[in-house]
Amino acid sequence: MKILGLAAIGTALLFGTAHAQRPGPDTLVVAQTTDPDSLDPAQIRSRDASNIAQHVFATLYEVDREGNLSPYLAESYAISDSGTEISFKLRSGLTCDDGSKLSAQDVAYSFQRAADPANRFTGNTPGFVLDAVHYKGVRVDDDLNVTILTNEYSPIAVGLLAETFIHCKAPYEKMTLARAAQTMVGSGPYRFVRWDRNDKVVLERVEGFKLRPAPFKTIVWRDIPEASTRATELLAGNVDIITNLSPDQIGRVNASAAAKSATVPGTRRIFVGFNQKPEFAKTLGGAAIQKVEVRHALQYAVDVPTICANLLQSPCRRATGLVNPPNDNKSLTPTPYDPAMAEKLLDEAGYKRGKDGIRFSLTLQGPRDRYINDTNIELAIGQYLSDIGVETKVEPMEFASTYSPLIRLHNAGPLFLLGSGGGTWSALYDMADIVAPNGGTNYTEWNDPEWFDGWKKINASRDPVAQKAIIDNMQRVFYERGPWLLLYFQPNYYAVSTKLDWAPRSDEMIYLYDAKRK
Amino acid sequence: MWVYIVRRLLQSIIVVLGVTLITFVALHMGGDPTYLYVSERVSAEEIQATRVKLGFDKPLPVQYLVYLEGLVQGDLGESLTYKTPALGVVMERFPATIELTVFAMVIAIVFAIPFGVIAALKRGTAIDGGIMTIAMLGQSMPSFWLGIMLILTVGLGLGWLPISGHVALLEPLLKGNLRTFVASVPGAVPYLIMPAFTIAFFSLSRNARLVRSSMLEVLSQDFVRTARAKGLPEGAVILGHALRTAWLPFVTMIGLEFGSLLSGVVVVETIFSWPGVGRLVFNAINQRDIPLVQAAVITFSLVFILLNLAVDLVYARLDPRIRLT
Repeated sequence: MKILGLAAIGTALLFGTAHAQRPGPDTLVVAQTTDPDSLDPAQIRSRDASNIAQHVFATLYEVDREGNLSPYLAESYAISDSGTEISFKLRSGLTCDDGSKLSAQDVAYSFQRAADPANRFTGNTPGFVLDAVHYKGVRVDDDLNVTILTNEYSPIAVGLLAETFIHCKAPYEKMTLARAAQTMVGSGPYRFVRWDRNDKVVLERVEGFKLRPAPFKTIVWRDIPEASTRATELLAGNVDIITNLSPDQIGRVNASAAAKSATVPGTRRIFVGFNQKPEFAKTLGGAAIQKVEVRHALQYAVDVPTICANLLQSPCRRATGLVNPPNDNKSLTPTPYDPAMAEKLLDEAGYKRGKDGIRFSLTLQGPRDRYINDTNIELAIGQYLSDIGVETKVEPMEFASTYSPLIRLHNAGPLFLLGSGGGTWSALYDMADIVAPNGGTNYTEWNDPEWFDGWKKINASRDPVAQKAIIDNMQRVFYERGPWLLLYFQPNYYAVSTKLDWAPRSDEMIYLYDAKRK
Repeated sequence: MWVYIVRRLLQSIIVVLGVTLITFVALHMGGDPTYLYVSERVSAEEIQATRVKLGFDKPLPVQYLVYLEGLVQGDLGESLTYKTPALGVVMERFPATIELTVFAMVIAIVFAIPFGVIAALKRGTAIDGGIMTIAMLGQSMPSFWLGIMLILTVGLGLGWLPISGHVALLEPLLKGNLRTFVASVPGAVPYLIMPAFTIAFFSLSRNARLVRSSMLEVLSQDFVRTARAKGLPEGAVILGHALRTAWLPFVTMIGLEFGSLLSGVVVVETIFSWPGVGRLVFNAINQRDIPLVQAAVITFSLVFILLNLAVDLVYARLDPRIRLT
């Protein structure tokens, strides 16, 4: 009898523990796949860490759901005639979490601290933004006005600078770098409470923050790396939103009453690169893909909508270039799947099938487990190409140790599958992958004179209408002669509790200010 | 005894050197590590400058000796991901892994003995068959599958235990905060049960089979018959005589046990979102954070080697014949 009693008490205790995990009405729990490497605003670089940080740190401007730049800490900006000075006017009455006043000095400090080589930061601001805007320095004009100085004009500088997390000088000057990596003193609607490494980050609403609504008192960001565990936590009601829902879990989630999947077209562009390096032209296939007409023919060979439907479990529209909607050239239409047309064009290009049915051979290299279902997609593309007589050997590779070095040295291929992150706020941001023939991210070493002339024209112009016309023409050039076998924008998979009203964004940003309990 | 200890210590040093060499070579086989330290936009000149600065331009044997020099001084390099000393990052996560491993070890030992003894005593019966069938299942079931099944049934279906997460248990104790440690126990144990059982099930099954066969051998020996003939109660015969002798091979296994449980944490920590070294290693391998992987592997090996050494010494103390072989 005693044993039974003890067992009952034990079971009740355990049962209570499991249910105690469920969030209260004023708490929102989001499960992501990775823990931040650091909480230092200048060291943050992953999307998961940025999602947390953007609720703690405000930025000068921000990108809204539709891809428009809108004021945040700054109320306006102006660009000098030379294009190398971008002045921001701050709103008055701003403060940081610790109560210290946020002024132009703090904005300047945020950039100076990130740029200081002694700090050896490698986050998004020092590792990408400052390089991309050709950062030279920063000038404090007065308490509310600050000017970013650059070495040359960049038409997307304001949008890039809007990615920098603004923080106050007073608290950060007092901290060591090691301490700054473990805490956050922000300027946004939530303040940092706790970080249990590889487990969770807890944020709490800053009462009185006027620039944003903060609908939940507490936000908990949990790190749950395993896809099925994330989905199970959601179905158990312990989590409200999960990212990276595995496509094979969509049916399971939608069959439940607890949650529903939410898939949106993402901004990551998945493509097969045609490597144009002279070394690859030594083989028949490598030489063939250096010809525009062959690249054009191969666009017809791959059935992209079928790949999306079967391997991504999500319908998709085939890409027409490297620019995300809504900034893509709307006059361009996706190339249809038409293997007969592909064969006809290859015949006309002088690559007829041999007696063995093969026109030429190629190797398609690609990552394994880097993008959603990537290996199967590589195999499918290889099969589509083989079907039209382009014998394709597929080589999936481990990403970090094998594939990434090949990509960085522009030695992948001659065909290689890759995904490149993009944005919704500017066509140029997406086009910046290919800014120079020998540029680091021009992995195909494509060297089309008209494309690169386009960049010169854009940099010489300050008229947005004229720039738009140039951009549209460049997109047409890319569509007709580009170095990518155009595929799709990788969908972003989320699942959301049925008790929550929240819609995901296509730019992978988790924006919780408009979430509410049903 | 001292000669034996010195001999075992020398053997351990050779094993540590072997582990460092294998880890070093394996991680450098993936290509030039310089690219892990530079951004995509840097020039070839900058890449070469970084290569020289980090010493990656030197021959591999020289790099290995430099690495060993750092190792002796406790410097295993800086984590590429965390930008802090790699050993510090590993040690920060180590308490969570120790919690899990020790709890798993307790399960693997505490449950294995009664199951093994009962199976031996009930040899040939349905009870013996049932225990051995479960033990067979435990040895053939992959831990990731078992973990997911437990999450789906016990966590989601029955709602008895938390699905994932962690409540720090050892950390407050290491900081000298005994009161927090005691207060954490009721909250921490429910989080430990499923992951620890997932890791322990294989060892539990193996140990139960080992105890059973060892007991069967001992039970047929003369001294057990004599004990029974003297009229000792059956409990005293089993616990006081048979189990004490059958226990010896099991003690040897305990050191190895800890090592095998430690190696099991990589997958289980990922499935249950347990913030330990296993998950750290998993992420570090994916991100090719070489210093962090090396630090974790060497820490694991040192723990394994030291435990084995301790078990060997205990065993040598229990059975003096061991020292002479």
